[in-house]
Amino acid sequence: MPKTDERLDLRGAVSLDRPWITIVWDDPVNLMSYVSYVFRSYFGVSAEEAERLMLQVHNTGKAVVATGNREAMERHVEAMHGYGLWATLAKADS
Amino acid sequence: MQFMQAGENAGRVTGRFEPVEVGLLRLAASQLIELLEAAESHAVGTSGDPALRRLLPDAYIDDTDAAAEFRRFTADDLLERKVRNARCVLATLGEEPLDEVADEPDDAALHAAADAEEQPVTIDLDADDVQSWLRTLTDLRLTLAERLEIGPDGVPQRSDDEAPFLHDVYDWFGMVQESLVYAIDV
Repeated sequence: MPKTDERLDLRGAVSLDRPWITIVWDDPVNLMSYVSYVFRSYFGVSAEEAERLMLQVHNTGKAVVATGNREAMERHVEAMHGYGLWATLAKADS
Repeated sequence: MQFMQAGENAGRVTGRFEPVEVGLLRLAASQLIELLEAAESHAVGTSGDPALRRLLPDAYIDDTDAAAEFRRFTADDLLERKVRNARCVLATLGEEPLDEVADEPDDAALHAAADAEEQPVTIDLDADDVQSWLRTLTDLRLTLAERLEIGPDGVPQRSDDEAPFLHDVYDWFGMVQESLVYAIDV
């Protein structure tokens, strides 16, 4: 949980420093085959990479699936919600 | 029910469904449309319906302002697209949306649909249809999971008389979806 002043700093940032990340979270509903398919077809990663990310979500509860500026990460999150995946964005850990 | 790749046509698939199954899909898709159309996009984040909150989850954890702002810019579009997908599913089933659907995911109507006995139906999907089907099946499963109160461990907490049937439907939608993923992923 960020402190209030840190959060304000995040809101105004224009991403000159730390990038933003898109996180996909594990859920008990979506099938492994589907999650892997979404990673492949939307992010264009190889079958091996999609499988690795999917298993990371499944086994550790979440995975960072993209890194970049805030606007791009918001687009990814919206797309993931379109697919029914549970996704959020946040500033990358320094 | 099983989807197969349709011959040489890349991205096209074909599947055979029992009329019972078509009835289930029609009803479920129609109910999903009702749910989505009744949703007020600006209030999804605080909706009393956990299914809506799961269909349009918070984009920011620990920052309710940013999450609300994200919704302001995306919720209308997302809801619209989800409705369009469900309508596409209905169209490929050869049917218009049902006019009148009960508010609750009602077993009575689903059971009634299950009683109809006719010939198997062939469903042909192009690449765009497949995308709508995949997404709608996901939205249906997410909604049913909330109705069944499925916990993080995947176990339903709900245990009334309706639960077993709803769980069968939930599992079956999963089978349909997996069959679709394998059919296009060759």
